[in-house]
Amino acid sequence: MINLTENTRTIRLQYRKRINAQSVSSWDKWLWEGTYKEYKLQVQNFDPVGKYPMFTELLRQEPKAEKLHFLVSAAARGYLQQLNGIIPDIRNTVGNTLLPFSQFRFEILQSHIQNIQEHQVAVDFYSEPVKWLDTIGAHVLIGLHEGEQESMTHLVALQPGLNIYSILK
Amino acid sequence: MQRKHFLRHGIAALGVAFVAPLASCKKDLDDADSGSTYGSGNGSGGTCTISPTETEGPFPTKTPSSLERSDIRDDRTGVALTIKINILNKNNNCAALAGALVDIWHCDKDGYYSEYGGTSMQSVNYTGVHFLRGRQVTDANGLVTYTSIFPGWYQGRATHIHVHIYNASGASLLVTQIAFPEGSNSAVVTINSNAGTSYGYSKGMTGYTYNASDNIFSDDTAGVELSTVTGSLSEGYVLTHSIAVSA
Repeated sequence: MINLTENTRTIRLQYRKRINAQSVSSWDKWLWEGTYKEYKLQVQNFDPVGKYPMFTELLRQEPKAEKLHFLVSAAARGYLQQLNGIIPDIRNTVGNTLLPFSQFRFEILQSHIQNIQEHQVAVDFYSEPVKWLDTIGAHVLIGLHEGEQESMTHLVALQPGLNIYSILK
Repeated sequence: MQRKHFLRHGIAALGVAFVAPLASCKKDLDDADSGSTYGSGNGSGGTCTISPTETEGPFPTKTPSSLERSDIRDDRTGVALTIKINILNKNNNCAALAGALVDIWHCDKDGYYSEYGGTSMQSVNYTGVHFLRGRQVTDANGLVTYTSIFPGWYQGRATHIHVHIYNASGASLLVTQIAFPEGSNSAVVTINSNAGTSYGYSKGMTGYTYNASDNIFSDDTAGVELSTVTGSLSEGYVLTHSIAVSA
């Protein structure tokens, strides 16, 4: 048995994915469009006449609009399910995504009821606990599964948007 | 390396590449195809080079909002309730309004709503649910139908269903509520009696706010918000209601 628990820490990684008008992949674009459509529906509950067309302005004037983050996340859930519980974009050095997740947080960064180009959202993905085995240059060595003879590891580059969210006992 | 372990791990990684499209699979494949350029068909060929096929990783599909559904129960249990709402257009001689988006939500048998209980800044499980909330678009007859459970009640309110109606382009037309009939043989009284306890309705009628005392429904003396409810505990109930909007 290879014991990965010696001299290693169990951590949860956080990846913040921002999606805006410049996003190019189909998944990003559809999530962007879907959440904008949902935003336009839901925002009418907080500002029926469109007095504050910009989301950040609405939030300043009407604190209850904070609930829009959660309400609009309903439009993102279908896309999150397509990920099958694996955090997107964060790949090991051979190009495979690997980090399992079940927790996420959806946030509207900005939006505008007349202009989809202003619409920006972020999805924070929180990984399941993984082993932080070592740090090699700008990479962390991550262990996911412990095996009898051999345990699989992944080299993952430290990169913008990737954070060590927590350390577990 | 142990083969077993390799396989287990390999499958876990491959799983990403083979995400099953959840909905609209056919449509999306068609969409994808429409943008592709195929060979000239007879094999004689042109001089263009077909681009290499590359993996896109998880193949995304366009999915509607998770709220667009007719069965809004998720994991909630209770006496079956079919909700049928007709939307009429006051600006068109009260004819049926097709293509309207009807958003409904109500509490569960114990009086609890989904989406309340956590703050928006907490992380949540992506498989989480928005129980007893759902949307449908009205058909040619202005009708939407939902499969749900009979709502319970909570302090200060009569039994009710919330409704928000939007036009086809998403502009809000009306936010309203639907009231339930009362009286000794009504569904509300039956479900909240001893007979309803075996279905999980345990509150009884002590402390219940009747429509006449409800701060939403008390001014509705004409009964515009009052629905029709038929059925039984064992067979389930059917609620029918018409709502007029200016569209």
